[in-house]
Amino acid sequence: MSTAEYEGDVEVLEGEFADKRDVGPIELESRDVSVWFGQRKVLEGVNIACPKKTVTALIGPSGCGKSTYIRTLNRLHELIPGAALAGSVLYEGKDIYDTDVDPVHIRLKIGMVFQKPNPFPSMTIRGNVLSGLKLSGMKRDGHDEIVEQTLTAAGLWNEVKDRLDSAAGELSGGQQQRLVIARALAVQPHVLLMDEPCSALDPASTLKIEETIRELSKEITIVIVTHNMQQAVRVSDYTAFFLAAENEPGYVIEQGPTTDIFSNPRDQRTLDYVNGRFG
Amino acid sequence: MTQVLDRERIAEWSTQEPQRPWTKKPVHLQVWIALAALLPAVVVALMFTYTDLPGPVLMVVVYLPLQLVASGFAALATKGRQGVADSVIIVNAIGATLFSFIILFSVLGSLIVRGFEALWGEDGFRSSFLVQNNVYINPSTPLEYGGLGHAVLGTLIIVAIASLIAVPIGIATAIYITEVRGRAVPYVRFFVQAMSGVPSIVAGLFILTVLIVSGAIGQSAFAGGLAYAILMLPTVARTAEEVLRLIPEDLRTGALALGSTRARVVLRVVIPAAKTGIITAIILGVARVIGETAPLLLTSLKSDQTVLNPFSDPIAALPTYIFDNVALPYPGAVTRAWGAALVLMVIVLILFTIARILGRDRLNKSR
Repeated sequence: MSTAEYEGDVEVLEGEFADKRDVGPIELESRDVSVWFGQRKVLEGVNIACPKKTVTALIGPSGCGKSTYIRTLNRLHELIPGAALAGSVLYEGKDIYDTDVDPVHIRLKIGMVFQKPNPFPSMTIRGNVLSGLKLSGMKRDGHDEIVEQTLTAAGLWNEVKDRLDSAAGELSGGQQQRLVIARALAVQPHVLLMDEPCSALDPASTLKIEETIRELSKEITIVIVTHNMQQAVRVSDYTAFFLAAENEPGYVIEQGPTTDIFSNPRDQRTLDYVNGRFG
Repeated sequence: MTQVLDRERIAEWSTQEPQRPWTKKPVHLQVWIALAALLPAVVVALMFTYTDLPGPVLMVVVYLPLQLVASGFAALATKGRQGVADSVIIVNAIGATLFSFIILFSVLGSLIVRGFEALWGEDGFRSSFLVQNNVYINPSTPLEYGGLGHAVLGTLIIVAIASLIAVPIGIATAIYITEVRGRAVPYVRFFVQAMSGVPSIVAGLFILTVLIVSGAIGQSAFAGGLAYAILMLPTVARTAEEVLRLIPEDLRTGALALGSTRARVVLRVVIPAAKTGIITAIILGVARVIGETAPLLLTSLKSDQTVLNPFSDPIAALPTYIFDNVALPYPGAVTRAWGAALVLMVIVLILFTIARILGRDRLNKSR
């Protein structure tokens, strides 16, 4: 059971993220969150706290509820017919499922990037970046600066600065994914949820997006679902390991600082999973 | 130091009840919604009682604008400026839906009320009206005698002939456009579109001049079916084309990658995947023609007898039966026409239901 293969990465990360340990206020927190689709309980008792300006990775095999969980964090879960939920999700200390909370406002503050890049095909690159402002009715001055700033933050500026008015569909998959990250950033979210943002991308694009995530985490809080354990090691400060037995709801088996999850897990299943023995 | 799953809390979690907090509305929102719904209704009810303005005028001139304003204010108070646009769209959508429902139900209502006069008399349900033919019946004969059985049969025969011709050709056309993708696609599509603009009487005239006057066929169910097929073909072809186009390209490539021939891709993968949509295309085609009267007046003429041979004699059909009876100055004949209209609608309803049951997607239902 060699965890040695991760040690190199882990040490680098400890240096880079050491100052983020045990930090600051919790920005987004779920308390005893359980999730149902119809009568079927798919997730039970999830307690995860995301400190401000950190990256939390959600790992685990397919079908254990990671994507379902991340959609409860900005109230996209309720759009699925038959969806139900228990527990609470606190954003800046307030339950986002309170009746007087406007889901539109929550989704503006807690942005999301999906598995498949979904730029709006009828809009230009520039139009895509600014689409969030139009769709939410948000007023921000200096559109040119916003376009440059967010595309730079998403690591795409140099590749598209000369063709901002061409169609978004002309970009490659990796570029499209960075474009939708820029689009999500243009409305200045405080939290960014990413549901396997690199699963359809090549290693070079993946690396670019990982750099983007690390850069972004200086400003905002990020929650990322990933199947790629090296990616979790490379980008995240904290990791939560989800697991579901057959026909049973998923649980968070173990969570904590990413270095500890990968180098010193306490649960045997976590150890097996992070060493690639199943999943 | 990591934190592991606290097994002792599983019992506690298992008592959690599934909730849908997003369905609950805060009290102040409920109050505003109630006010916005009640106030305009109350105002209009008062005006209806104390003024002489007719109901439709009140609805359009007073109620609708008032409802828009009230909902707008409620939205402004609860959700701010963003909510106003939402409320305007929602109120207009509900209003337009109600309006179309009112029109639909008044058509259905008058059809059912007047139609039942023919089907239901002092002697109870008149099954004779459904099965007997029109032989020995004149316009003043009481409704207890005679019926439209021959016309129902005629309509079914003519539509069946039309479907036998138009459905295979229509689906083949759609497959040519979406699957074969030959060089003639733009022209084929252009002609299909042009065909959908052919007036129904022109279809009848075409069959009359080219096939009947020339002596090739007589005025019969077959001639009527040919005229119907001309009208049905573009509807079937275009609708089938639309549904085949919705089948993802990945499915075709996936099948090709398994070593399938293109014919098998179409027959085993694409068409089964589009089955429900293709059945819808057929229904729409039938619905397009089943009420057409003009082509039948020129091709199948009419008859009072029950005709079973589709090639020999003129034949009755429901649209022509309605057309003949409604023009007669006898109340009894007009009632027969209403009865026939109701029967025609019920036939369409039955066809739709059968198609829905046949088209039910068993694989996806069980999910």
